[in-house]
Amino acid sequence: MTPRAERSTAAAGSSGWLDRHFKYLLLYPAIVLLLLIGLFPVLYSLMVSFQNLTMLKQDYGFQGLLNYERLINTDRFWWAILHTGVLTAIALPLELVFGLAMARLFVKDIRGKRLFLALLVLPAVLPPIVAGGIWRMLLDVSFGPINQIIGWLSGGVPASINWLIDPFYVYPTILLTEVWEWTPFMFLILLAALSNVDPSQEEAAEIDGAGPWTIFVRITLPAIWPVMIVALLIRGLDLVRTFDIVWALTKGGPGTLTETISVYMYTMGFQRFATSYTGAMAFVIIIVLSLAVMVLLRRVEIAR
Amino acid sequence: MRGRGGGLRFIGALALLVVFLFPLFWILTVAFKNPEDIFVTPPVWLPSTLNFQDFALIFSEGYYRAILNSLIVATGATIIAMVFGTTAAYSIARHRTGGETLANWILSWRMLPPIAVVFPIFLVFSVVELRDSYFGLILLNGAFNIPYVVWMMRGYIEDVPIELEESALVDGCSRWQTLYRVVLPMARTGLFATAVFTFIFAWNEYAFALVLTETEVITVPVQIAKFMGREATYFSRIAALSLLALIPVFLAVVTMQRYLVRGISLGAIKG
Amino acid sequence: MLSRLVTGFLAGAALMVGVSQAALAEDAAAIAENAAKQFAGKTVTIVKIPGPMAMEVTQFSGPEFEKRTGVKVALVEVPLAELFSKIMLEFRAGNTTYDVLDVQASKIPDLARSGAIVPLDDWMTKYAYWDDYKDVGAAWRDAWGRYGGKQYGFVDDGDVFLLFYRTDLFGDAANQAAFKEKHGYDLAPPKTYKQFEEVTQFFTDKYKPSIYGAGNPRQRGTMFYWFEEEFRMKGGKWFDAETMKATVNSDIGVAVLSRMIAENKNMPPGIETWGVIESMNAWLAGQLAMITWWPGLGRWSEGYGTDVEAMSWVPKSQIIGKVGYAVVPGGHPQLAAGNLLTVSGNSQQQELAYLYAQWLNSATISAERVKLPFSFRDPFRVSQFKSESFRALWPAAGAYLDAMENSSKTGLIDLTIVQVDTYNSLLDQGLEKAFSGASDAQSALDEVAANWDALTEEIGADEQREAYQSWLAAPNAYPAQPSE
Repeated sequence: MTPRAERSTAAAGSSGWLDRHFKYLLLYPAIVLLLLIGLFPVLYSLMVSFQNLTMLKQDYGFQGLLNYERLINTDRFWWAILHTGVLTAIALPLELVFGLAMARLFVKDIRGKRLFLALLVLPAVLPPIVAGGIWRMLLDVSFGPINQIIGWLSGGVPASINWLIDPFYVYPTILLTEVWEWTPFMFLILLAALSNVDPSQEEAAEIDGAGPWTIFVRITLPAIWPVMIVALLIRGLDLVRTFDIVWALTKGGPGTLTETISVYMYTMGFQRFATSYTGAMAFVIIIVLSLAVMVLLRRVEIAR
Repeated sequence: MRGRGGGLRFIGALALLVVFLFPLFWILTVAFKNPEDIFVTPPVWLPSTLNFQDFALIFSEGYYRAILNSLIVATGATIIAMVFGTTAAYSIARHRTGGETLANWILSWRMLPPIAVVFPIFLVFSVVELRDSYFGLILLNGAFNIPYVVWMMRGYIEDVPIELEESALVDGCSRWQTLYRVVLPMARTGLFATAVFTFIFAWNEYAFALVLTETEVITVPVQIAKFMGREATYFSRIAALSLLALIPVFLAVVTMQRYLVRGISLGAIKG
Repeated sequence: MLSRLVTGFLAGAALMVGVSQAALAEDAAAIAENAAKQFAGKTVTIVKIPGPMAMEVTQFSGPEFEKRTGVKVALVEVPLAELFSKIMLEFRAGNTTYDVLDVQASKIPDLARSGAIVPLDDWMTKYAYWDDYKDVGAAWRDAWGRYGGKQYGFVDDGDVFLLFYRTDLFGDAANQAAFKEKHGYDLAPPKTYKQFEEVTQFFTDKYKPSIYGAGNPRQRGTMFYWFEEEFRMKGGKWFDAETMKATVNSDIGVAVLSRMIAENKNMPPGIETWGVIESMNAWLAGQLAMITWWPGLGRWSEGYGTDVEAMSWVPKSQIIGKVGYAVVPGGHPQLAAGNLLTVSGNSQQQELAYLYAQWLNSATISAERVKLPFSFRDPFRVSQFKSESFRALWPAAGAYLDAMENSSKTGLIDLTIVQVDTYNSLLDQGLEKAFSGASDAQSALDEVAANWDALTEEIGADEQREAYQSWLAAPNAYPAQPSE
């Protein structure tokens, strides 16, 4: 055998093995890493959720569904779910609509586009605790410029809206901050998706006399649909876990009026050390979310 | 297309910028304000005198290290999540490995509130001595961003015309070469957009960083939390550090945009 | 830059320490110092909340301790909101990183019960610290740091609420006359809450919006102190000591909360969201006639120590020389929060940790620490109240120290029971709800009581009863006589 042939068979052999296991070799590292980091914590949480660990008692005995029962009978937990649901249901469409509108604006060439994009992403780069903190300052009754601006617009009378505690305004405040911080996420993802839409199809439709709305619904939307759904999914799941912004703005208050699941979980798990109770809460949330996402995805799949 | 309505769009873009950047403008003014100017009725928009002390303190007291730490952690996590996540996404998208069940299983990791698992993770990291280490935080942030990368990249990879891959294979490329030379360049736009936010998620992560760091790997959010005390909140210092922390990310986004722009022209060629 | 600025001050401080040490050859600081020398080369780790108090370690006591004993001091800063959780996490995980823990007084029972901190009695005897420790103000010494008959922590900070008032506004002849005419008594720092309301209203009516009568913090995490103070002075009881049913929603509770809500109208707009920082700012800017706050504000009001760069975050005082100090209305101020030095149950070098704590806390060393401009230590020892050098720091420093000492004598300690943090945060939640207008005082407090009952049941009523009764037995849990 000539050296050259030898080399090529060796190469073919090795690449053959690599090629045969190609799809698994690509997949396994991610799975292994996830399990390596995540498996123990999840099993641990599951295990303790059947025990009764509190700040002061380390009772490792099996307690059955005690914590789950306790959880289901706690109004505060259901309220937290409702608050989270309301926040997600309002913030998510807003972020989508604003993000999409902005992406449409920037998908075409525009002067200084690069700078615009880099600047518009900045809110998302600000750590949420700072974002919450800065909006707290902006919205302060007498030290904040927002009330001042409202005052100017309404004819010189200084406004005295207590954005951070007035039960009527706290939700708008949280939504404002949330949408401000995370619209850039939707914007950039959708911009990337829009950039990949084949412009010739849109142009063809335009020549056929289709209106802009028809073109958007018939051609653009289907093209960006898969990316958009995933972006909504990820953002939706992150909204359900929202913690930092709410914590920085209202700490879940006034009272527990804006307490989200994560805020409640933080209070119970991290401040009160109700380890078992929090473990149970995590599992209920994951199960409920998994079901919701599965149902949603199936719907979307059909629609697609 | 260019030109028609271009001026209008530019004005619209400017208006957006004003709305989105107003809070950042306020941070900028706070960073330079003396404490007497921060809580005033009616609010003062511009500092009466410029205060550089807080910027100076960030350098003289070494707080700037938080930015370096955050950069290291977020970059490391982005690399891990992008490499592992993109390959897994390709496997799922093109080979249907594990089907929808696997994809959903991966997504379910995104439902886990960090607060719920922070204690057991702390236990593990204590045992394997990864507390207060770059590696520990990078692994954590990398792993927990994999679901995001897998789901995003799956969509972008599905968008790449499969005919291109087939012809590459016919031309004698191995599967690995096809992935590397054909698929990834075609999905560049998506890679960029995904990577930017993987970076940002890791950059902003607070719960893990708070619990797992002591003195060495203090990240920006944790350092800022330390500036907010019961008796002392260093508003100007918070603002100054936040601003300085924006700069590297801003520069990175500006330079990396080449890929986004190229992605657009690529889309044009594709048609 | 910062270190250069404070070096001069420190050199002076170190010199003074050296001198006084020579005078008392075998004082508690010297004993601890000599004993610690056997650990030279090791590192002792102290946990503190970030901010001025932590700076004292990096700028003063850390380098000083190393110089004298060869033991390095490492600092871990944990934000207050997470301090207790972080300590418990480390403890539960079996980590041995922490040696000395600087914690709030009300956390002692929880930490001691779980074993996260250890009793110090044996070392105090071994290193002859009992006598030196007797110098600590009795109100704090007898109430704080003790659990189950043992000493778990050293009182390291003299927290007590003071009523600060503007001498220029109170002393103004026109104000004096107008007030007397309206209310029939002299305008003076209020002795009762009724007077406090009248004085607040008087100033607000006259000077609004540039000056308001008062501006006490109303933010979660701290506002319960103000409620606690007034509630107890008026005779309010937290629980039925037998059944352990919460009685925070009694008529007294509702009356106190209703009064606080009404009072908000005479405080600056937005007071419902003010924390300690906002109130401090408004006071230093001269926008308040009165404020109830921690003693540290007294130094800053006079501009003492705020001219060093580390304190540049404190607004320049506009009221230098115009500040008076008085005991709070009702006469029994809250000994709110407090910091104690404790030794971690997981520490591998508890003796060294103890020695460092004793050294820090000793009369000689703490006398310097409380004077550091950037530290947040308030005087807490009788010797410090009497200290001539402290009294010379600013013109009214003597009056300030007297007010602190007097206030501490009639002060009331924080509620200290099992998981008191949780009770406090549930109370805060209710107060906030009432301040926001989302519910009235009665229903807000009813909710608090219901939440408390559920929590008590979870902890175990018997266990909690024991803790509550031992708190009730403390000499300064309640005033001898309820006041108005």
